[in-house]
Amino acid sequence: MDIELSASDLSFREEVRQFFRDNAYKPGEDYAKWRLDWFAKAAAKGGWDVPKWPKEFGGPGWSPTQHYIWEQETARATLPWDMPFGVGMVAPIIMGYGNKAQQERFLPDIRARKVNWCQGYSEPGAGSDLASLKTKAVLSADGTHYVVNGQKIWTTAAHIADWMFCLTRTDDSGRKQDGITFLLFPMKQPGIEVKPIITLGGAHSVNSVFITDVKVPVENRIGEEGKGWTYAKGLLQHERTGLAGISRSLVALEGLKANAASVPRGNGTLLDDPDFRAKVAALEIDLLAAEFTELRSLASAQAGAAPGPESSILKLKGTEIQQRIQKLTVEAAGLYAAAWGASQPGPKFARGGMSGYLASRAYTIYGGASEVQKDVIAKNVLGIKRSQA
Amino acid sequence: MNFELSSEQRLIQESIARFVQDNYPLDARQKLAAGKLGFSETHWSTMAELGWLALPFDAEDGGFGGNQIDTMVLMEQFGKGLVLEPYLASIVMGGGAVKRGSAALRTEILPGVIDGSRQLALAYAEPQSRFDLHDVVTNARSDGADYVLNGHKSMVLHGGSAHQVVVSARTSGGQADTGGISLFLVDMDAEGIKRDGFPTVDGLRAAEITLKDVRVPASRVIGTIDQGYPILTAVANDAILALAAEAIGAMEVLYKDTVAYTQERVQFDHPLADFQVLQHRMVDMFMEYEQCKSLLYRATLEVAQGTSPTAQRTVHALKHLVGRSGIFIGENAVQLHGGMGMTEELRIGHYFKRMLVIESQFGNTDYHLQRFAA
Repeated sequence: MDIELSASDLSFREEVRQFFRDNAYKPGEDYAKWRLDWFAKAAAKGGWDVPKWPKEFGGPGWSPTQHYIWEQETARATLPWDMPFGVGMVAPIIMGYGNKAQQERFLPDIRARKVNWCQGYSEPGAGSDLASLKTKAVLSADGTHYVVNGQKIWTTAAHIADWMFCLTRTDDSGRKQDGITFLLFPMKQPGIEVKPIITLGGAHSVNSVFITDVKVPVENRIGEEGKGWTYAKGLLQHERTGLAGISRSLVALEGLKANAASVPRGNGTLLDDPDFRAKVAALEIDLLAAEFTELRSLASAQAGAAPGPESSILKLKGTEIQQRIQKLTVEAAGLYAAAWGASQPGPKFARGGMSGYLASRAYTIYGGASEVQKDVIAKNVLGIKRSQA
Repeated sequence: MNFELSSEQRLIQESIARFVQDNYPLDARQKLAAGKLGFSETHWSTMAELGWLALPFDAEDGGFGGNQIDTMVLMEQFGKGLVLEPYLASIVMGGGAVKRGSAALRTEILPGVIDGSRQLALAYAEPQSRFDLHDVVTNARSDGADYVLNGHKSMVLHGGSAHQVVVSARTSGGQADTGGISLFLVDMDAEGIKRDGFPTVDGLRAAEITLKDVRVPASRVIGTIDQGYPILTAVANDAILALAAEAIGAMEVLYKDTVAYTQERVQFDHPLADFQVLQHRMVDMFMEYEQCKSLLYRATLEVAQGTSPTAQRTVHALKHLVGRSGIFIGENAVQLHGGMGMTEELRIGHYFKRMLVIESQFGNTDYHLQRFAA
């Protein structure tokens, strides 16, 4: 065990920083063009546009330490926007379970960020209990295509997505985890209707998606019919690790301290207030631990093991930490945290603080609610067998 | 010992409950909140006609002669519907200051407040003051028969629509001295007033108000010059009691809606309420609600009685507990509703947002804990 960075790690870090500096967005630049150029340049560095992809699919093949350095640096730099659904979520499934034709057809556009994806998982009746999903896919008599009918909900970015990867039910005769099939289809076609859902902060990022008689060629099925649950489960583990956001929280904590230090309180600032200071300190302690939980998880993943139980711990701890940072930001803003609408009186961080706090309440709900994560740990890690529900 | 409401109080309670039920389903509320004014002038007139605006004023001022207990009964019902009308701002806060002023001022101002034609507000906070009522930089200097006010008051509840605003200003002493603060009733159409009104996250309205050489006649001083602070704290205590009562009404909706929802929503082949971890969470929410209610009664009775030496400390305790429990109940109501709790469509989220705003008004959870422990 050793936590010192080696000389080659240090020079890697400098190379990453240099890359971010050289390719930073300049005000006035065409954003869309800069974004695609940025990913092209990152690709030319040897897979920096897809850090988590395996080497055989064009990833950089970094060591755990290099991944850690990348996470830390990306949390500080301003990277082009990037949804997780393509590169981070559907791509690993296509690599792992898709055939060669599918890999050649989908992966290049995903990697170039030319196609936006959305995830068709949750349904009105299938949230935490995802496996109870009912969206039906029926294979045509000639076996050439499926006809899909159903409703998805909480679909992030469905309104800007070009494609959906979708869990559908092809068989409901057995165990509910069996009979789920993983399909890919375009969003811009008749039979797909996207309705916005406005969330507490007033934002539109999630949607309901109504799917009516949508034809999906069998070539768009990933893997075998009825095995979709197995494929999706592996992905959920990846998603959960990603949702912990430890590096981002480390940066956000610095922001919180700076914000609190800008609020006058008596002769000093709010950061000098012993009670507030103690809460920030307790948060920092949890974050120091979580950072190493993430490193341990990363190390075991790189050693070839699938993301293990620590990914559940990370999601729980990581999202709680994010929520606490948001809550303290709201507290720091004092009365001004309530100001809404276009006027933004008070400290600059107040408005964003309140929206951030409200949005953060979803962190312990999506990607597996905290209560469900704890059930998973109880069952799979602690080995507790329940005799009844 | 008696925790029963009087028959008069029960009548008012029933009448307000009916009003809320008839007029405050979520979609109706959201329509009002999105309107130009942010509340209904028709509802406001109804409240005046039913005598609710007269509730906490003395009979000799044209009021109903009620006290903090009556206001508590009313505000708890308002909390169940997240009522938008400026009762707290105009009656409890603005009116609460004026009713502690001279007979001449009361005679001039209160009839309009009680019939609803004159809306008041209270401007006590400033950009640097955070929760300290005595941190006042806005100043007033004497000039002939007038005072001249300069300064910036922040987050004035319903300050954008009020006709007159009670402004705390420094007439002597240092920035954080409790002495040397005076209260002025300022016309909002006076020269030198600039108002920037905006919505707050809970659907209510507030305003930033700047005063530049605003002339206020000496007859509009509330109480005695330099002695405004005790009036300000008395009004703040009344406002905290009213906010806490409103919060308790909202908490009841939050925990009861959650209990109902978890019994309907089926996951893993069971209603959510079958899972023990969720049952215990809801029991915790319920216990927090009951504890808040107890402390609300305790603080309200001590303040209303008027001579309790511990009343101030109990008010600090109440605001602390209501803040802490309100956030706990609100966050868990959202959590147990899952994705649905995150939408604007269900009422849960709106009650939660009101809870967040109540938590910081007149001092947040930490502030009152510190004051209680001091």
